Amino acid sequence: MRPLRYLVLLLAFPIVLAAARTHETNPMSTPEEFAEGKRLYRINCGVCHGMEGKTGRGARLARRSYRRGNSDAELFDLIEAGIPGTDMPGLWLGEDDIWKILLFVRTFAEKASELCEVTSGDAEAGKRVFETQGSCLACHTVGSRGGRLGPDMSFAGEMYTTQQLRDALLDPGGAVADRYRTVRLVSKDGEAVEGVRMNENLYNIFIMDRSENIRSFRKEHLQSLEQPGESLMPAYGDLLSEADIDNLLAYLCTLPGHAKEDPQ
Amino acid sequence: MRSPLRRWMVCLAVLSCTCLAANEVTNQDLLEDARIGADWLNYHGGYAGHRHSLLDQVNRSNVEGLRLDWAFQERISEKFEVTPLVHEGIMYITVPPGDVYALDAETGARLWRYSRRMPEKLIACCGLVNRGLALLGDRLFMATLDAYTIALDRKTGRLLWQTELIDYSLGYSGTHAPLVVKDMVMVGTAGGEYGIRGFIDAFDVETGERRWRFYTVPGPGEFGHDTWAGESWRTGGASIWITPSYDPELNLVYWGVGNPGPDWNGDVRLGDNLFSDSVVALDADTGKRKWHFQFTPHDVHDWDATQVMVLLDKQYRGEMRKLLVTANRNGFIYMLDRETGEFLKATQFVKQTWAVGISEGGRPIRRPGMEPSAEGIEVFPAVAGGTNWMSPAYNPDTGLLYVSCREGSSMYYKGETEYRPGTRYWGSMFVNEPTVHNWYGAVRAFDPVTAERVWEHRLFQPAWAGLLSTAGGIIFAGSTDGFFKALDATSGKERWRINLGAAILASPMTYESEGRQMVAVASGGGVFVFALPRQAAQ
Ligand code: HEC
Ligand code: HEC
Repeated sequence: MRPLRYLVLLLAFPIVLAAARTHETNPMSTPEEFAEGKRLYRINCGVCHGMEGKTGRGARLARRSYRRGNSDAELFDLIEAGIPGTDMPGLWLGEDDIWKILLFVRTFAEKASELCEVTSGDAEAGKRVFETQGSCLACHTVGSRGGRLGPDMSFAGEMYTTQQLRDALLDPGGAVADRYRTVRLVSKDGEAVEGVRMNENLYNIFIMDRSENIRSFRKEHLQSLEQPGESLMPAYGDLLSEADIDNLLAYLCTLPGHAKEDPQ
Repeated sequence: MRSPLRRWMVCLAVLSCTCLAANEVTNQDLLEDARIGADWLNYHGGYAGHRHSLLDQVNRSNVEGLRLDWAFQERISEKFEVTPLVHEGIMYITVPPGDVYALDAETGARLWRYSRRMPEKLIACCGLVNRGLALLGDRLFMATLDAYTIALDRKTGRLLWQTELIDYSLGYSGTHAPLVVKDMVMVGTAGGEYGIRGFIDAFDVETGERRWRFYTVPGPGEFGHDTWAGESWRTGGASIWITPSYDPELNLVYWGVGNPGPDWNGDVRLGDNLFSDSVVALDADTGKRKWHFQFTPHDVHDWDATQVMVLLDKQYRGEMRKLLVTANRNGFIYMLDRETGEFLKATQFVKQTWAVGISEGGRPIRRPGMEPSAEGIEVFPAVAGGTNWMSPAYNPDTGLLYVSCREGSSMYYKGETEYRPGTRYWGSMFVNEPTVHNWYGAVRAFDPVTAERVWEHRLFQPAWAGLLSTAGGIIFAGSTDGFFKALDATSGKERWRINLGAAILASPMTYESEGRQMVAVASGGGVFVFALPRQAAQ
């Protein structure tokens, strides 16, 4: 995710609301209510989430479950209040209107055909690739194990589509989030350091180097500072066989998150 | 510095050492606010909108020694945008959503608190914010989020009167620090994202009775009504959310007016949409419009003209002129004659791609194809503009105008919209992705007459903090990544900084307490007050 962008948007439009929900489950169900929900979704949500719930600007809504809660009540509250610190704004509509929108949003899950799906490939074999040949575990956490240079993969099966995962493996530089931008610098003493960006301001830059040391540098003291677009992650097209990649994808799609994998 | 002396005399007279707030604030005090320095009696530190103080104890030679003297903290999850007022040793602040505190200005100790009971569901586009108070006599005035103007007893915080502006549930609110002129307190309504019809009210300071009202969207038969197609004037927006400037000689109050509604879809409101995105000069006694100037006719980018109007008297083309200078959200600095409203010039001060230029008469010459669309269009400046509500500052010693600038673009989308009372009336929205990578901020110094840039201090992100200028030759500035800093007014060189740990979304102020100059700024959930150590200040 992109901390800078979210900060900026938070400042532009933070919205806080008091909930006014009187039901625990969605009381709406009729075709008229559904049609109204669709119309309201179009006006209020479509621009970020897309009419099919698949656009990337907001989170993907065409999926089986949501990271921030799945019950009607949780989703109602989320739609009403927005998600502080992200682009997701709150909505001032009456309770009924929000329920109607949710009625429509619920239909996305049924159409979520491009979700992370285990089509071919062997998840058990994929786990081995992840932990050994691929050395993915060196940089990514699953449950309570693994490295911290790249994003947490514990929720991969819920967060990405198969296609997104494939793209990430074959072309890792495609869309590197700010938080994981590669940084290459040469310090005052001539030391060359490479890592991912953790934070930055006018004066300092903070990175996690390849050995997972968190390091801070005064920009004015550096001999050089580069933030190339490419990822620290190698492109796996040439490193793994087609079969390995299929197995890997099968494994990643089974990753549901800490809750099932690891009680912590 | 008159008032500390006066305070001492009063203290001696009653042989006590704690005579805070002994004297009432008079109209004369307000007129001289900017000339006195020790107190800070109006949001802008004076009627002219300069945010400049005569205090010079903290200056170029010692500013490195500035350190935190005291802090006030509350559990505030909203943006904290207040500029404190200080009068005779007491600081008055508003705390969102509806509280007012009186603090000992020397130590930060709390003296009283007024807590307003708010309706459950307030309506405010951009956070439940409040920017501060106004003072006169024994009264403090506040515009509230539930759309009231209220008066409090400044010694106890007791509510003296409250007058409803209008039903808040229709999307109206009050967020700016009111302006006191003579025996009136003036307040305008926010809510430009909710299809309101904006207006400005003046109330009797004693009774809260309404003296006049000026609609920022003219009704049938009024001048400018024909700049709104059909019934669109009823939901035209044109909100007010920043304190105006005032010229006592001309008796004119200069109000910066907000965007037309819906923000990004102008199809339902064809026409220039007066007085949205304009400055209106109102006669203080009657509320009648003397003149107006519209910066962005028929705006579709949400470029409210709610920036501070800086009043200056300067030579222009060989003649002494009464000027109004303002850096506008649309990316141009404007200079007008503040007596007549005559347009004198406009100069671009940040990157902009929407206008080819500004014509002789002051109307923008638009670049075609820069209106929001269903597919989205990238336009500079970004939706928050080249600057925003945060205060600029003017320093009479350097003769420079200082502006917190925002560089970058937004993607502007247009969509369907329909008016429903009390709900968002935007006409789609803006999205900053993917353009946010070109964003940065800067504090810039301009010659206000030529609009030539004299220096720039870069900021990592676009600024949301205002500026304070002091006779010590220091410009105090804040950044979105939490740094409060002192810049040399002449060169822009950074002389001092501290990380306050949260974005600074307010404009700083300064005052004097027990012989020391104090500099205060809100950040996160706190007000932080800086001074030189006592020995150094001697
Ligand atoms: C300005 C863009 C924007 C708009 C408009 C918007 N959203 Fe969102 N939404 C987002 C973003 C961004 C996220 C992801 C936030 C995060 O978790 O970082 C999100 C997250 C969500 C989530 C949670 C997804 C999850 O996995 O937990 C739901 C549900 C949601 N939005 C529904 C809606 C609905 C319904 C509407 C219309 C009423 C709406 N959104 C309008 C940007 C938007
Ligand atoms: C040298 C460390 C490193 C190794 C080894 C590595 N990655 Fe990555 N990975 C990263 C970094 C850093 C990022 C974030 C930058 C980016 O998006 O490319 C990333 C990103 C990803 C993403 C995209 C995440 C997102 O939110 O966009 C996926 C999926 C991923 N890695 C999977 C894998 C898999 C599977 C392997 C093993 C085959 C692997 N990685 C090996 C460092 C690594």
